[in-house]
Amino acid sequence: MSVTSLSRRQLLRAAGLAGGFAALGPVLAACGGEGGGEALAADAAAEPKGVTLRLMVNQPHVTAFTKILADRWATETGGKIEVTAVPYDQLTSKQILDVQGGAGEFDVFDYFYFGLGALVDAGALVDLTDWIGGQSDLDTADFLPSIYDPYTLYEGRRYGLPYDGDLHILFYNREIFDRHGLQPPATWDEYDAAAKKITQEGGGKYYGAIVQGQQVPMILGCSFINRLAGYGGTLVDAGGAPTLTSDAALAAAEHLIAVSPHALPTPLQIGFDQANTAFLSGQGAMIDTWTDMSLRADDPSVSKISGKWGVVSLPVGGSNTTPRTALDAGFGLGVSSASRHKAEAAAFVKWATAAKQNLSQASTAGAGIDPNRKSVLHSGEYAKATPTASSVIRQNLDGSPLVWPKAPSAPKILQDLVDQLALAVQGQQDAKTALRRAQESWERELSR
Amino acid sequence: MTAVDVAAPQATRPVPRGPDRQGPRRRRAGRVPFWLAVPSLGGLAVLLAYPTIYLVGLAFTRSSLARPLQQWSGFDNFVEANRSLAFNGSLVRSVVFALAGSLLQVALGTGLAVLLRARGPRLGAAGTLLLLPLVTPPVMVGVAWKLMLAPVGGSFAGVWSALGVPGFNPLGSGPGAFTTLLLIDAWQWTPFVTLLVFAALLGVDGELLEAAQLDGAGAWRSFRSVVWPAILPTVLAVALIKVVIGFKVFDLVVVVTEGGPGVSTILSSYEIYRTGLRGQYDMGTAAAETLVFAVVVGVITAALTAARHRVVRDR
Repeated sequence: MSVTSLSRRQLLRAAGLAGGFAALGPVLAACGGEGGGEALAADAAAEPKGVTLRLMVNQPHVTAFTKILADRWATETGGKIEVTAVPYDQLTSKQILDVQGGAGEFDVFDYFYFGLGALVDAGALVDLTDWIGGQSDLDTADFLPSIYDPYTLYEGRRYGLPYDGDLHILFYNREIFDRHGLQPPATWDEYDAAAKKITQEGGGKYYGAIVQGQQVPMILGCSFINRLAGYGGTLVDAGGAPTLTSDAALAAAEHLIAVSPHALPTPLQIGFDQANTAFLSGQGAMIDTWTDMSLRADDPSVSKISGKWGVVSLPVGGSNTTPRTALDAGFGLGVSSASRHKAEAAAFVKWATAAKQNLSQASTAGAGIDPNRKSVLHSGEYAKATPTASSVIRQNLDGSPLVWPKAPSAPKILQDLVDQLALAVQGQQDAKTALRRAQESWERELSR
Repeated sequence: MTAVDVAAPQATRPVPRGPDRQGPRRRRAGRVPFWLAVPSLGGLAVLLAYPTIYLVGLAFTRSSLARPLQQWSGFDNFVEANRSLAFNGSLVRSVVFALAGSLLQVALGTGLAVLLRARGPRLGAAGTLLLLPLVTPPVMVGVAWKLMLAPVGGSFAGVWSALGVPGFNPLGSGPGAFTTLLLIDAWQWTPFVTLLVFAALLGVDGELLEAAQLDGAGAWRSFRSVVWPAILPTVLAVALIKVVIGFKVFDLVVVVTEGGPGVSTILSSYEIYRTGLRGQYDMGTAAAETLVFAVVVGVITAALTAARHRVVRDR
């Protein structure tokens, strides 16, 4: 039997060939991976019975899907849903990876609207434009105009339906305010002054403000953009150019820095969960946060401040005298382009965003869902569920909240912004420098 | 005391001298049949070559998480990495974290091991206690410490109040957060050093120690002249391993500080994750950062390995 031997030259040649194939593989894979996200036909027929849909959802929404929607979907259609919760700071990347990585485990994505461009660019979402047009029982005119297009429309095509109408309003602990003889603030100057007074007089038992400063767009980004909206500023102008060096942006950043010493320690370490817990346990006098706090604050099982809190619109500043909030976070439901049950997934999206389901979720403490429809926002049932906050929520969702960018580079530029702001809050640079550097980054990325 | 020469082991077969009459046959005997090498070559290609080539491919192309390998971009990704807010600083922080952490843990672990060895040759209950931090998942370690250090409601909150600094947060400042991470890492990994050094201490020749004591050496002199030279190779090897582990720290940063405040605790592994998977989705720059980080780690560990060899050789 002859035995083929391996010389050094042959070994190198074999390694070279292996390397060549290794290099070629991903190139081919990448070529094949572009241009996904096909459209769903207007008349796509869905047969949900017996079909298990897999959902990737934002972690704070898990109760809404598992406790409210799952059983009802099973009863009404005979279908089943399996829910996978993902932390909010990993949601968009995991959705992209599920499709791009070839796993394709999910049928429905609960997506951040500012990640919409990135998801579409990755071909991760099915184009639902035609399908929506073909659904006679889908009342799109009932979706809140303030969120419908921002959450679902990208470059003229629609990739989902609005699910959670998120925005921020200002909650305050009425008991603490009364104790210190204060009125809820109408301007950011009043807010800073109240925070300082309460913290100084609180003796470390509680703090004047809870500033959410965790260094991710959904947290620190919200805190900055709330102030920016209050000062009448914008993130980009009508032409799409960044406006981060405006007077309003500077004032917003300076307020964020100024209040930090008087806030629950330490703002840059405070995320969504810590902030909520602190406010509900009475450790903070003010928090600008999502409207569903109103349900939790009145739930004695999780709140020590039930009946002792109030809520107002976000303060204003500078020459702006009209309260204005921002579409902080906010979610749509879309169909994964890797789904094997696209028609059923789309049917679920339509069903889950319908008024009946939205009302149930928006009225349940801990569900983390806010109104997405006019009929829900203005309903007596919703007002009854949130008696203290419903008028403020209505006023803001009916208004024209500040919309975040949603280009494919939006996750990156928003992260760049919060990185610069974090350095400013930490005292390593001033507000002006932080905004100038963020502006440079935005100009570079948005011009690509 | 009689010195003993330790002879090198004798070769079992004499090496032929003079002209090599079997040269071609000997060379052929050194070759590997091709088919025998296929599995290992395949494994090499899959486990080493493929990821490395793919990484290099990403580093020199415009690549996002959604669309890798879009187009050749030369050194643009390296320029972007250099221009990024946190990457260059993260390299320095990673080196400091790995070296300082290793030094601290080797000092503490060796001291602890010597004390435990003085008690006797068995660890007993101390062994179980030492294993506890080691077998705890780093994420749980981070969560536990984060909860304990929470300025409001944390278990240290009472201590800070008693010390007159209510609401103090060691994670609230850059140096404080970095030092806290070093200490948490030391809490978890010092037992690892202790266990290995303790094992090395068990191998120290008791007769040599006895002889040293008979010659009048005290405890310190016996340690310095007998014990330390015996365990030095192990201590240096453990230090090197700890440096490598220190470079890999990621989970603690994610859980405890998320790189903050500001960029104070952004280590390179975390910065690469941020660039590639969190917010930016810039896989090209993340790959470039990975290559640069690998070079830094390679240089540092190569220097330490060389130093270790020199120390062991010169003993």
